[in-house]
Amino acid sequence: MRYLMTTKGGSEADEKLFAEMGAFVEEMTKAGILLATGGLEPRGLVMTSEGDDITVTDGPFLEAKDVVGGFALVEVRSKEEALEVARRFRKIVGDGESQIWQVFG
Amino acid sequence: MSVTARDAHRAVDAVWKLESAKIIAALTRIVREVGLAEELAQDALVAALEQWPGQGVPDNPAAWLMTAAKRRAIDHLRRNERLERRQEQLARELEQDSDAGETEAGDDVLRLMFVSCHPVLPTEERVAMTLRLLGGLTAKEIARAFLVSEQTVVQRVARAKQTLADAAIPFELPPGAELADRLASVLEVVYLIFNEGYSATSGDDLIRPTLCLEALRLGRLLAELAPAEPEVHGLVALMEIQASRTAARTGPSGEPLRLHEQNRGRWDPLLIRRGMAALLRAREHPRPPGPYVLQAAIAVTHARARTAEETDWPQIAALYDALVQVLPTPVVRLNRAVAVGKVHGPEAALAVVDELTGDPALKDYHLLPSVRADLLAQLDRPAEARTEFERAASLARNTAERTFLLNRAAALPASPPDPGVTLAEAAEAFLARDDLTPATRRSYTQTLHRLTRALGARTPLESLTPDHVARTFTTVWPDASPKTWNRHRAALRSFSTWAAAPPRAWPKTDLASSLPRHHESRAPRRPLHPDEFARLLSRPDVSPRERALWSLLYESSTTIAEALALDIEDLDPHTRTAPGLNRDSDTADLLLSLVAPRTRGPVFLSDRRPAPSRTPSAADLCPETGRRRLSYERAEYIFKQKTKHLDPSGHGYTLHQLRHARPR
Repeated sequence: MRYLMTTKGGSEADEKLFAEMGAFVEEMTKAGILLATGGLEPRGLVMTSEGDDITVTDGPFLEAKDVVGGFALVEVRSKEEALEVARRFRKIVGDGESQIWQVFG
Repeated sequence: MSVTARDAHRAVDAVWKLESAKIIAALTRIVREVGLAEELAQDALVAALEQWPGQGVPDNPAAWLMTAAKRRAIDHLRRNERLERRQEQLARELEQDSDAGETEAGDDVLRLMFVSCHPVLPTEERVAMTLRLLGGLTAKEIARAFLVSEQTVVQRVARAKQTLADAAIPFELPPGAELADRLASVLEVVYLIFNEGYSATSGDDLIRPTLCLEALRLGRLLAELAPAEPEVHGLVALMEIQASRTAARTGPSGEPLRLHEQNRGRWDPLLIRRGMAALLRAREHPRPPGPYVLQAAIAVTHARARTAEETDWPQIAALYDALVQVLPTPVVRLNRAVAVGKVHGPEAALAVVDELTGDPALKDYHLLPSVRADLLAQLDRPAEARTEFERAASLARNTAERTFLLNRAAALPASPPDPGVTLAEAAEAFLARDDLTPATRRSYTQTLHRLTRALGARTPLESLTPDHVARTFTTVWPDASPKTWNRHRAALRSFSTWAAAPPRAWPKTDLASSLPRHHESRAPRRPLHPDEFARLLSRPDVSPRERALWSLLYESSTTIAEALALDIEDLDPHTRTAPGLNRDSDTADLLLSLVAPRTRGPVFLSDRRPAPSRTPSAADLCPETGRRRLSYERAEYIFKQKTKHLDPSGHGYTLHQLRHARPR
């Protein structure tokens, strides 16, 4: 099964974090778990539709300077395995939050 | 179990599956025996299962498991009071355990893969060991995936561990010369696991996703551990591309969809991209492409076509031409025929397929009649196509595939009106006769049912020719002994005669007329000459055990079973002579020196101790050496081997012939 993980927040990216994150990404790739990953720009765009009207606004994040975003698509055996992978990730990035969704289809 | 305890158990299980390969590999490095390492690692897992639900999941669960497992390994060494210096060194390593040696840890996992896929193990044991050691699966999970009992898996793992220990397989990467073969064995196991998951050979589910996932992960791991091996990348590419079609390859009711019927929009572009990337990595190495790289290239060519019509069939046919050179299996040849059909038309393909119909390896392979049926339908020969689809359905073991093939048969126009009696109808009428004895009916049933399956149940009896039947005989019973062959032939002759007799008069010809009777050789072979036997006994490569056993059989009237059943207690307590044997004979001396200094247990012992899973009864075990009684099969085998060069027919003599060799 696949899970999509997105993340917000975390400590300021320094050299140590980069190194640890690099090793973690390599390990997960090696294990065949990490299928795709990437960073997300701090402010995204939001599109809303109402009737015939489509509105585009800037991202919903209020304090843009604190936000480091990213996503990972992982292939795992179980929900528990997804959680374990996310747990390891959070230990590296520090305070903040991740959202974890199972991907169907 | 409370909800939280169950959650904790699941958490332990998830961490275990992620870490077990690394942990077992690290432990094998310490204790040098894979089976023992796995048991010690399991002990650590059990400790986690006991402690985590109560104390909470530790901060770094992976490190916790690794440390707990290593402690157990070192305790084990300490208990065995060996390698003291090594032990200190290991204890030091454990203290300052860090990220150092990541490459080495990876190499250990690679070693573990080579050991669990070692050719000394039968395939199913390699598969069980790999899923267990590298994937961290439980016996129960493996059993469920392969539709066998848990007990079977437990036994396979136990036997494999014992074999590896007995054979003292080193925990090393294979040396250069062996590497290619050993790697092929690893790739075979991974692909077998994938295929079992992808095209489950039996059962109701067409896809068992667990096995595909395990195989993909093993392959991806292997590609990082052995990046210089193009075939590894080839296998990964092949699996990624095949897995990319998972969602598209079954229809709404679970029926299989052929490649050209699949909705390509449901192919997973991410996996296709990964597959293509893996194939590019394979091609970075300037070596002639091996079987996996070629198969991956074929899969990638299909993946590139946005619609079935855009498929580059000339490219695929060319790749199959190359593949047939390195992997000339009947299945590859069959697939090549399909590609040939796309490029040169169904007639050309049918010619290639018909070359394969006599291949015994394909006699039960449902895709052969299925491909033939497809070609016949294209050639506008619907009646034959229908029969072939039905035959394919009767051979398919998977329910979804069987239904699919029957539907294809049903979609074709029915055979021309009244094709006469079918083979199955005629056979059933014949077997229902009331003048057959039960034994004869059983024997005839066996022959006719097997033939019906091979020839097609709905094949009109009228359409069968003696040559066709003869070809089918050689395909179905390629290795039958002359006696068995003649029994099948006699059954067919009886059937054919009955069917041709009035009032039936169904076939016009004797269906058995092209079947040769096989010669049942009963001619007595040249007996073993006494001089030859004397020379044999004095050969230096004949062990004292064989010398004693053979002399006993040759000299006395003891039967083979009696000789092997002899216990030391049966020998004369004073002279140590076997019953019925002259005390002064050479044989008596041979027996005497064979059993000394043992005082009880079987006289003739096997060379090795039995595996723990195959402990024989106490009466067949030597209480002093732990070895088991020599078996009839083994004794016979050795005698045949040693007398091969004497026997003009090259088979070697049997012990029975030895007993009768002595002039009396």
